[in-house]
Amino acid sequence: MYKLATEKLPELLQCWSQGATVYVPQKVGEVTLFRPFKGQGDLALGEGNTLEPPKDLFFPRTEKLYDYWASGKEARLEPVELHPDRAVLVGVRSCDARSFLLLDQVFLTRGYVDEFYKKRRENTAVVALACTQAAPTCFCTSFGIDPGRAEGVDVQMWPVPGGYLLEALTPRGEEMLKQASGLLAPAEGEKIPAPAQPSLQVELEGLVEKLQKMFDHPYWGELSRKCLGCAICTYLCPTCHCFDIDCETIETSGYRFRCWDTCLFAHYTLMAGGRNPRPTRKERLRNRLLHKLQYFVERYGQFACVGCGRCLELCPVNVDITKVIRDVKEVSL
Amino acid sequence: MSLQDKMRERARELLESGAVNMVIGWEKGTFWYLSPPAFITTPEEADRLVWDEFCLNNLSKYLLDYRNTDDKIALFVKGCDSRNVVRLLQDNQFPRERLYLLGIKCPGLKDSRAASLLGEEKRAELPLAPKCVGCTHPEPVIYDELLEAGVSGDLGSPEKRFEDVEKIEAMSYDERYAFWVNAYARCIRCYACRNVCPACDCRECIFDRTQTGWCGKQMGLTQNMFFAITRALHVAGRCTECGECERVCPQRLPIMTLNRKIIKELNALFGPYEAGVSLEAKPPVVEYRPDDPDFEERR
Ligand code: SF4
Ligand code: SF4
Ligand code: SF4
Ligand code: SF4
Repeated sequence: MYKLATEKLPELLQCWSQGATVYVPQKVGEVTLFRPFKGQGDLALGEGNTLEPPKDLFFPRTEKLYDYWASGKEARLEPVELHPDRAVLVGVRSCDARSFLLLDQVFLTRGYVDEFYKKRRENTAVVALACTQAAPTCFCTSFGIDPGRAEGVDVQMWPVPGGYLLEALTPRGEEMLKQASGLLAPAEGEKIPAPAQPSLQVELEGLVEKLQKMFDHPYWGELSRKCLGCAICTYLCPTCHCFDIDCETIETSGYRFRCWDTCLFAHYTLMAGGRNPRPTRKERLRNRLLHKLQYFVERYGQFACVGCGRCLELCPVNVDITKVIRDVKEVSL
Repeated sequence: MSLQDKMRERARELLESGAVNMVIGWEKGTFWYLSPPAFITTPEEADRLVWDEFCLNNLSKYLLDYRNTDDKIALFVKGCDSRNVVRLLQDNQFPRERLYLLGIKCPGLKDSRAASLLGEEKRAELPLAPKCVGCTHPEPVIYDELLEAGVSGDLGSPEKRFEDVEKIEAMSYDERYAFWVNAYARCIRCYACRNVCPACDCRECIFDRTQTGWCGKQMGLTQNMFFAITRALHVAGRCTECGECERVCPQRLPIMTLNRKIIKELNALFGPYEAGVSLEAKPPVVEYRPDDPDFEERR
């Protein structure tokens, strides 16, 4: 374990910037976002989680799949080069680190490997930052996540008075600490700070079994009356991963791309011919919640919620997933 | 009797007598600074209703969900909300006969985001909600009965309405361009600003017709800017300045500045006009007048 003095943080980021782009939470306007470190900028490593989850590093909002060209009877496809750049993601909280493992399930397992995702994931080192204080909306511990120690990351950082403690957890992480050895001092007698203790908690026992019997329950209709059908709770959720594929053609050439989509939008399930199997917000909101709390568990054995609290904090009408979980346990079938 | 008690009592009576079959108001949410919409359909549930300084949601938007039903609805409206009801009535989006309006003399509401950061101990010192800062009509302009909030809070000052617009107008063209590009580069096109807006009453929005080629689904600055400008122009003359779009934007983009710039221009071109203040006055971009200053000029 090593210690980094607070004032050396920019130098550390500079050091990791050699041959890679470092993404780190920064104040942008009134919000905090992962942004490329450019030597300056308003670093925001002390203040809870970022507005946007870091998932777009691996699963960009829009990603080109291939270029095409067609004229008369001739046509040509040109594959795009898979994202070759190296990146270092610094300041990832335990909840978001878990979300990467869930996204891995979706994009890398069950017989299909998404090469675009895989390449970005492989090329990105993840440095986690432990939470010592939770926001009122945090409930990660309910999903067995330790806010003080992230899973599947290369380096773990802890905030301590005067700086940070760092520990490498993978060979890549060790390499990174070696690269920065001039800035680090052995952490002797330093104690790892106690992890945050989120006060918000949910009880998950029996939830899936109950939900399996609730598809047609009037609860969803009641719940969705206030929902606006926007994309805040899906686009800003670290585990939501739906996309659409479309193309942009100008005259004889164009490109095919994929971009984020959301089950809360009406056109997500709109069929050619105009039929929509999820015609109202009731079916759409139900889908979002069942996907997180039932379908994902049935397929991958884990909940697709990491308790980051973003949807709870940002939903304009306070659709609260923790309340939904409590309600579901109570409604009569 | 407190306003909240009065609200509950009236909701109960209206449901019991069968005058309405649904009351839309606010209830207490997850945290002390959240008072989200509540849909009350039985007299027993009336006690869920609350009134406090966080009853920010403009409930008039929900009328659109019931425009093709037979439901009789009682709706609580603050000043700004009532103007949206006028707009919806003017656009024939909801029949007046199926609507019972419980007006609330609004004392000015508080900023729930600031509340979440400051904590409950500072409840008495919270700043006015940004959407209330330039308020011109705290009292409802249309109602069937009027309820008093009892306490008078610190109301907005109408002369502050165009302050942000003037700041941008003072910039050079390049600075203005950079300002808007910077802002809307962050837009995630979650469409919360559109979905919460009671002036957005199209049956099908241009941004939901993704196959037309007007605005692709890609997330990019071009599409974001096209969305920003189109949304603002589509509510021109219909925006009542309830401020909901800006309040719900997760990226905190200055959407009201765009709306108010258009209002300012409309006032200059067609004479002073405030949307939804009177059932009779037609919105400037809907009405044709041969003595219209713009028409004169072009002739
Ligand atoms: S639950 Fe909230 S954030 Fe999600 S679509 Fe509905 S209104 Fe938007
Ligand atoms: S469902 Fe909500 S709390 Fe759970 S991971 Fe997604 S945004 Fe976070
Ligand atoms: S949910 Fe847990 S890990 Fe995520 S920010 Fe909150 S305390 Fe930290
Ligand atoms: S609410 Fe904000 S982020 Fe969402 S579409 Fe509107 S401007 Fe963009």
